[in-house]
Amino acid sequence: MTTNVPAVDTHVAEPTSGRKNFLNCSSGFMSWAGTLDHKRIGLMYLVGVSIAFLCGGLFALLVRLHLWSPEGALFANADYNQIFTLHGAFMVFLFVIPAIPGSLGNMVLPLMLGAKDVALPRLNLLSFYLWCSGAVMATLAIILGGFDTGWTFYAPYSIYTDKAVVSIGLGIFLLGFSSIFTGLNFIVTVHKLRAPGLTWFRMPLFVWALYATSILQVLATPVLGITVLLVAFERLYNIGIFDPRLGGDPVLFEHFFWFYSHPAVYIMVLPAFGIVSELVSVHSRKPLFGYKLIAFSSLAIAIISFLVWGHHMFTSGQSTYAMFAFSFLTFFVAIPTAIKEFSWVATIWKGSIALNSPMLYTLAFLIIFAIGGLTGVILGALNVDIHLHDTYFVVAHFHYVMMGSIALAFFAGLHHWWPKMFGVMYNETLAKIACGIIFIGFNTTFLPQFIMGSRGMPRRYATYVPEYAPYHHASTIGAVILGLGIALMVYYLVASLFSGKRAMQNQWGGVTLDWHTPTPPPLENFDHSPSVTTEVYDYSVLDLETTRTPAS
Amino acid sequence: MFVNLFQDPVNAAQGVAESVPQNPHAPAQTIDAWGQLPKLASTFGDVDGLFYFTYAVCIFFFVLIFAALLYSVIKWHRKTYDQPAASNVTHNTPLEVVWTVIPLIIVMVMFAWGFKGSLDMTNVPHGARQYKATAKQWNWTFSYPNDPVQSYGELWLEVGKPASFLLESTDVLHAFYMPSMRVKRDVVPGRYQKVWFQPIEKGEYHLFCAEYCGDDHSKMYAKVHVVDAVEYAKRPWDQWDDNNPAKGGESRYKALCSSCHSLDGTPLTGPSWKGLFVKDASGAIVGGQRDVFVGGVKETITVDDAYIIESIKNPEAKKAAGHEKNAMTAFPNLPDREIHGIIEFMKTLAGK
Ligand code: HEC
Ligand code: HEM
Ligand SMILES: [Cu+2]
Ligand SMILES: [Cu+2]
Repeated sequence: MTTNVPAVDTHVAEPTSGRKNFLNCSSGFMSWAGTLDHKRIGLMYLVGVSIAFLCGGLFALLVRLHLWSPEGALFANADYNQIFTLHGAFMVFLFVIPAIPGSLGNMVLPLMLGAKDVALPRLNLLSFYLWCSGAVMATLAIILGGFDTGWTFYAPYSIYTDKAVVSIGLGIFLLGFSSIFTGLNFIVTVHKLRAPGLTWFRMPLFVWALYATSILQVLATPVLGITVLLVAFERLYNIGIFDPRLGGDPVLFEHFFWFYSHPAVYIMVLPAFGIVSELVSVHSRKPLFGYKLIAFSSLAIAIISFLVWGHHMFTSGQSTYAMFAFSFLTFFVAIPTAIKEFSWVATIWKGSIALNSPMLYTLAFLIIFAIGGLTGVILGALNVDIHLHDTYFVVAHFHYVMMGSIALAFFAGLHHWWPKMFGVMYNETLAKIACGIIFIGFNTTFLPQFIMGSRGMPRRYATYVPEYAPYHHASTIGAVILGLGIALMVYYLVASLFSGKRAMQNQWGGVTLDWHTPTPPPLENFDHSPSVTTEVYDYSVLDLETTRTPAS
Repeated sequence: MFVNLFQDPVNAAQGVAESVPQNPHAPAQTIDAWGQLPKLASTFGDVDGLFYFTYAVCIFFFVLIFAALLYSVIKWHRKTYDQPAASNVTHNTPLEVVWTVIPLIIVMVMFAWGFKGSLDMTNVPHGARQYKATAKQWNWTFSYPNDPVQSYGELWLEVGKPASFLLESTDVLHAFYMPSMRVKRDVVPGRYQKVWFQPIEKGEYHLFCAEYCGDDHSKMYAKVHVVDAVEYAKRPWDQWDDNNPAKGGESRYKALCSSCHSLDGTPLTGPSWKGLFVKDASGAIVGGQRDVFVGGVKETITVDDAYIIESIKNPEAKKAAGHEKNAMTAFPNLPDREIHGIIEFMKTLAGK
């Protein structure tokens, strides 16, 4: 077992046998734009969400640079407000929500199920184009005068402001449908297209996570759609639902908004949990600890998360009973989340831990998510939240979960399935360095925000009292480091497409069905119809040679 | 745009007070011994207790997780490509029960403690002084119990006396947030909200707007003085000096108008006040020339007191050219002596 066989020199790997895969089976614009292949659609999503992420990141850098000085270094207050709004809206609606299901989910879900495609390929393409039109509307809104309501669109400000709220609202409406259709598609796919022998409890956890996400998408997103429509109607026709001058109730808007947006944070994070579950197992070469508990905790989170939206409104003047229930249930969500984190750590414990770049990103996730989740518990405590609500403490909390955890899990998954998708490997050394830079940059950016937040620095401030300046300085420096790390990552990933080494057939030694197809997969995924005879994550069946055979 | 539709009967007063600019050159807060929270200045110490308790629990679990990961990575990282896992355990029911039940117990403690603390915050004690805070874009106005004089952008409280605030917004959402007192409450247009606390330390404190409310959200600041009974009895908020109305006018300007009007010619949301009054050849102060739109028709007028008063009480009547698309908050209830003070202040700008 411990014989140290020298690694194959990948440079000399011979070019392909001429096997057709999904990338080179056809070419031309229409072969992509009109494709029904889930992998190509996944790739197009990947390009789209990456562009959105880079735009959002640019806005973030502007925000941080502006906050270098207490009076605001770059913009007038009104312009700053537009920039932080754009940052939040791009990141939430165009990146974090669609990123993992749209790109990696599309790519991997049918592979993991042993299916030829998703159940409804046309709907899948439609989802993608809805995403595109949402992105166009959002960009249009910038041209039409921008918007300055924050990503939360709180009424009545969103009713009164003279910016392009209707346009962006329509964009979000379209994005919502994109999300709903993806969810529907995945639900049907999981129910109908599992390979023979792939029972529910043999499904990889990424599939479980996407399944739980899809339920949330289908049930919660319509509420968001209705809410933004109501805001648009209120602006256009003064129907008097949210505007207090017409007898409307602004707090009702908050209820509607968070009824969607709390489940939405789990729409964002569950796929990330799925990726991490997958990766800790593969890269520790060890079955997942507590598989069923993780699967059930995803469903538990999906259900409970419908009942906790009020924890975003503890200062809004809710009744005591509402406060009681929402705080109680919020603490309840923390339990399945904690179970997951412990199970991942237990999986790594006594594993055969490969310290490659996907695993480094995963470890970074585990550390950062621990902080993100634990600080959520601090916020769940009623009287403490009253002090911390709408301060930088909350900003730091949700960046620890959204940027530090979800985006990092997305990067981890990207590095994990990159060789599968493209048949090439990026430069591992650069990847490890970039991961280190991102980890350091991220923590430098957001740790100080916890401190200034608990000391009372309110969020969405274009200017601030000077005593908070040192923390803002640290945070801005961190953001620049983070930006450099991400730039490096983009560089080596793109470079690998042109000059990357050939990847191995089974680069990391995975045993789920996605590693049983040729690399990159052919158009309809499997040369032979797959069937499953072993339990999930059973590494005793791993053929180690495939991890050393270059992809064809 | 934000025409003042929510005219407020209580506001229809009266007097005035000297106040400080909204742009905060406020004293820095003192930080408590643990370095995380501003030093507690109210009786809501439960917040601190629970905060540090949850903080300690978080640090404990974080260290546990981090140590386990670090240890694993050092001990079991893969040295050869075919190294199998050191163990293939997939379950350990006692362990799983432990790590479900222990966190459950801990969070239930946090829940109960937090809930109790929040009850204290909702139950206003008998005999609390009734203040009122009115939020509008982007300033705070405070009314004192049984006192016609209001203060702007600055608030005085007596140490040791519970203070209860009726919160009211005339435009969008705001939030009344005093970090040192551990209180925060959204100010919702169309509803009255309440917040109370009992200051226990003399000093000066921040009052922030914590709910995003548009352009100058971050400047919606008030300085809060907690003073002793002797000082409080002097009604420090009533500082109007009839012998020097321009001084009072300047403080009104800083509290209410400076977010939209500059003094040096820079156009903000509204026109600069430079040039409203000018000096003629003899050095006498006279009204300047202004282009305005009256019902959409442009005309040139000479500024006088009546024009200023109309601009303050009914800004839509004559719209200053170059800013005709922007709306000014109306101040129909601003007392006459304050308007007079503002005009006197404007006149001091002539020739500058
Ligand atoms: C929300 C921003 C805003 C605030 C606050 C504001 N103004 Fe204005 N003001 C405007 C705008 C916009 C105009 C130009 C449009 C108009 O004339 O209605 C204006 C015009 C004026 C004019 C006419 C000026 C000219 O050059 O012709 C006067 C006088 C005036 N404001 C006084 C005040 C006073 C006094 C205050 C404080 C008590 C105040 N404003 C507060 C926005 C504001
Ligand atoms: C252990 C689990 C978690 C708990 C107990 C928790 C609790 C909370 C609470 C109470 C708030 C409200 C704070 C406030 O505004 O005063 C909050 C805010 C937030 N949380 Fe969490 N959270 C948890 C995990 C997550 C996860 C996994 C995500 C994301 C994917 C997330 C995303 C957010 C976001 C986006 C906000 C702020 C939204 C805004 O106001 O703009 N949280 N969290
Ligand atoms: Cu939430
Ligand atoms: Cu505000």
